[in-house]
Amino acid sequence: MRRSTNRFTLPLILLTLSTASRATDWEASVDMRLLSSDAYPSYMDGGFGTVRFGSDDSGVKLGRARFAVTQPIGELWSAHLDASVFDDKDRSALGVTEAYLLLRPYPHAGYRFRLKAGGFYLPLSLENRSAGWESPYTLSYSAINSWLGVEVRTIGLEGQLDWLGTRSGHGFDLGVTAGVFGWNDRAGVMIANNGFVLTDRQTPLFGRLGQPGVQPLDGAEPFMEIDHRVGAYAGLEARYLDRVVLRVLRYDNRADPSALDTISHVLAWDTRFTSAAVRFEADHGWTAIAQWLGGVTTIAPQSMTLNWPFQAQFALLSKRFGRSTVSARYDRFAVQTNVSEYYGAQDGHAWTAAYLFDADAHWRFALECVRVVSSSVNRQEQGGPYSATETQWQLAIRYALGSAIR
Amino acid sequence: MRPPARACCHRSAAGAARSVLALLAQLVLLAAAGTASAATLVVSVQTPDGHALAGAVVTVRPLEGPPRHAAPVHAVMDQLNRSFAPDLLVIPVGSTVEFPNGDSVSHQIYSFSAAKRFQLPLYRGKPYPPVHFDQAGMVTLGCNIHDEMLAYLLVTDAAWYGRTNEAGSWSAEVPRGRYRVELWHPRLRDSETDLARELTVGEGDRAELTLRLTRGLQPAPLTGRPHSWDY
Repeated sequence: MRRSTNRFTLPLILLTLSTASRATDWEASVDMRLLSSDAYPSYMDGGFGTVRFGSDDSGVKLGRARFAVTQPIGELWSAHLDASVFDDKDRSALGVTEAYLLLRPYPHAGYRFRLKAGGFYLPLSLENRSAGWESPYTLSYSAINSWLGVEVRTIGLEGQLDWLGTRSGHGFDLGVTAGVFGWNDRAGVMIANNGFVLTDRQTPLFGRLGQPGVQPLDGAEPFMEIDHRVGAYAGLEARYLDRVVLRVLRYDNRADPSALDTISHVLAWDTRFTSAAVRFEADHGWTAIAQWLGGVTTIAPQSMTLNWPFQAQFALLSKRFGRSTVSARYDRFAVQTNVSEYYGAQDGHAWTAAYLFDADAHWRFALECVRVVSSSVNRQEQGGPYSATETQWQLAIRYALGSAIR
Repeated sequence: MRPPARACCHRSAAGAARSVLALLAQLVLLAAAGTASAATLVVSVQTPDGHALAGAVVTVRPLEGPPRHAAPVHAVMDQLNRSFAPDLLVIPVGSTVEFPNGDSVSHQIYSFSAAKRFQLPLYRGKPYPPVHFDQAGMVTLGCNIHDEMLAYLLVTDAAWYGRTNEAGSWSAEVPRGRYRVELWHPRLRDSETDLARELTVGEGDRAELTLRLTRGLQPAPLTGRPHSWDY
């Protein structure tokens, strides 16, 4: 069933295109990277690197090839599909990162309701605000949002109710969000085994982590339903004009940590976390973003209870000068555990500096340096050092085409 | 224009001269009456720190004599580059506004303001009939697809209205009498009633009123953010 999801991706795209009317919006892009990295192999290659590309990846690599389409269905519904190739060892070259239906009725008496159904990101990041859930500030996302991209997604329903104060003579808007989902029972497997990383690889829906047969991830699938219990989240959002956004969200996949998948014999990971994020934007292109996330993931094999509490924070400062964007970000992250010999414990911080240049609507150039200083028990177990500093340089060239890109 | 001119040539020369004289006399009388009863009302608007405020909306209503209202107009508010152009229109009650959508993307324009509730799907290249605004009040416009889009329509029953220029002033020729002058701006923090003034346009040729905000304006909408970003 899961395998067929990816097999149907291409026909789905072609079907969507062939039935497309004039109102269809589409976008395609290719993002190539010239890399220099001294990092350990990434989680996709079975290693404990804290960035996307390890030293073996130095040279030219595909960053992402992406195709996205939005098809209005009548006046109030629309269908969204975002598919990508990340050129790594997932089981299918092309994967769908988001696919959902959106109902967007007109506001009524100052309130607006929105309903999303399908697979999509939680409304949590204030950093990943560009098309394809990318960051317009850096190539690599913060540790928090990298983790979301790796193993947290809503496959279910989300409702959002907004009070549109700025449309009724006030300076602020307020919103509440709630979602219910399945197929995220293994969110946490990455945190407990590899810890936080800084990457821009987004696991496709029903994609996998690492390689089968290579420990510790062993091709783990974060998007599995094991215990048939519905997960849930709820969040609040407040905005002041178009300048300040505050988001708070509580997530609980409500997984039964003792539940085993009958086919693959893997455990469900009971993961819950709280996130708070704030973004300030000011005149002259200044942006500041800060986010905090704290939670715990738990498994309970054979009447033991093993847990890994985790926390991460970042602060980002960015300035736009015309077509250029210069950004700096500081990340902190930590995973603790009650497991013997501290299996999975990690601690670290990272500096990211990036320069992005939008030459025109089609071409974007970017230069980024990420430097991560971390300690990791599991890296040491695998024969690496307990403490390490990894540096990854990326020069990126992206070309985009689309119905609204001209 | 031409047929009346030719008709005039069939009249006698004396008759024509008399008509011209009568017309001139009437014009002189009218002009004299005008100078006697009209004056220039100049309204200047300043920020709390004394700088000129451009773009403020001034409305003027007579407090005596028969009620007067400005004549309805037909206005256009386009959608260009995912914003309303212009983003503020002042129109008399009974006016119509066209929303042509000059963008390559669709918009869904809405208002839930009491003065006019409407929604308008604007698909590419598909024109919609103009919207009629028959009730005075503030109409806030948004787009159901692009949250960053925001515009205002002030539907007014005032006899005179306009927006201050770069020097922060606006002027109109008004008959002598008593008036209520009101001020509005989309980013106003002051109460509108606090900024309303009554004044008499009396004997002089010119009546001046300076209004100074007591509180600074809210920050202006940010510019230069790429439209592909989440709002």
